[in-house]
Amino acid sequence: MARDLLVDPDALREQVRSKYREVAVDPGAGFHFHTGRGLASRLGYQADAVNTLPDRAVESFAGVGNPFSLRRLAPGEKVVDVGSGAGFDSFIAASQVGPGGHVIGVDMTAEMLAKSRQTAEALGLGQVEFREGLAEALPVADGWADVAISNGVINLCADKQAVFAEILRVLRPGGRLQFADIANGRPVPAEALRDIDLWTG
Amino acid sequence: MLEDSGFTDIVIGEAVDTFGGATGEDKARAFEVYGYAFMARRPA
Repeated sequence: MARDLLVDPDALREQVRSKYREVAVDPGAGFHFHTGRGLASRLGYQADAVNTLPDRAVESFAGVGNPFSLRRLAPGEKVVDVGSGAGFDSFIAASQVGPGGHVIGVDMTAEMLAKSRQTAEALGLGQVEFREGLAEALPVADGWADVAISNGVINLCADKQAVFAEILRVLRPGGRLQFADIANGRPVPAEALRDIDLWTG
Repeated sequence: MLEDSGFTDIVIGEAVDTFGGATGEDKARAFEVYGYAFMARRPA
């Protein structure tokens, strides 16, 4: 049975694509959220890990928390990054799982995918790949992943239950979901929840 | 929602002031919006 969603998923996706296309191509434009190295520091990422990455791997980072703060990934783990953007968290994950692991970043925005793929190639990271796809339909086989990570993405999806069900599908039994996202301590008025402009702005 | 989706062993990290100093800070403060890390497990 179809769930009663607050906003139209396709319309929201188009709005998210538009916003994050801008973050990919003009990360210094100024947004309502922080970006780049300053944000990574604010969110508690280890400086030595971030400092080894080139600017292009960090400048479009727009996460809301640190998916690695509760558990460091283990060498050899297979990881799916849901909504990988320009690849910052995928590159951090790659450094933790090492050459014996594998990271698949999935994103729906062409400009983000192009940027992350170019960076991975420049870094010579053979254990990272980026695939085009949606959080609700990940291009990853059933039970493939030891860990799924995500950062500031699920709050931008209209059907969160569909996203969690999809993540459950790609995780192996016993696999972990490590993600960061925003949560509000005060209720948002119902009319605001149905205002699609407020989801990304 | 994580439990409803079938995840177990849910852990939530400390709140992070994600929007402090950004232009979106006022809106974030109005609804006490913070960033959190979450961890959960697919049952074995």
